Amino acid sequence: MLTERLITAGRRLCHSVREGARKILTVRERYRAMMDAREARGIMLLREWLSPTQRAQFDTSKYFDVVGCDSGTRYRIHYGRVTNVHQIDEAGRPVMGWCFVPSGGLVAGDVMLVQKIALETNEQTTLAVANSFRVQALGGGPTRTPPRRACSA
Amino acid sequence: MAVQIVVDQTGDTRHWFNPHDTKALSKAEKRFKSLTTIGYTAAVRDVAGKATVTRSFDPTAEETLFFPRLVGG
Repeated sequence: MLTERLITAGRRLCHSVREGARKILTVRERYRAMMDAREARGIMLLREWLSPTQRAQFDTSKYFDVVGCDSGTRYRIHYGRVTNVHQIDEAGRPVMGWCFVPSGGLVAGDVMLVQKIALETNEQTTLAVANSFRVQALGGGPTRTPPRRACSA
Repeated sequence: MAVQIVVDQTGDTRHWFNPHDTKALSKAEKRFKSLTTIGYTAAVRDVAGKATVTRSFDPTAEETLFFPRLVGG
């Protein structure tokens, strides 16, 4: 009698655990789908605002170049949300990284669009709030140095 | 139809309005002022695709983008 009750309770417990895990997975999938949709909308908006040249560059390379409105300096904005803006030389080699983002945790496409508009319309003010970092010309990713305030290109 | 696009942590939200409708235009101007007051930057895009930051409401702008203030990363 007791054994039967224990077996029944065990089965109910297992069923509850399985049901709970299934619900968690469903919520996680919905969240992931929502995030994917936001990400896709961000990229769509970015592509709408890129110039034809920038759009072609982004479609093939996942980055695009912009020219600073004040200094004429060229910057390469890579796909991403942080440490993704590199100042480049005439040969397209990165010479310095700039880190600035819109506040509020935006998706990558929206961040990249804001970075493009900021550099193309208000370069000096943008660099005044940005932190700079060293970048390697080839090979691995950016080499972070302790962030410092940097106001000039 | 003209559109105001607001980007924030929820993604982008598009507010369409008829620029020839006085009431809709007034509502769009109020949205412009309320967003720029809390620190959003407004940028408009011309026909050629060139973006310009604007400090005042332009009733002829077909597309205005609002984004939060920039911070150092």
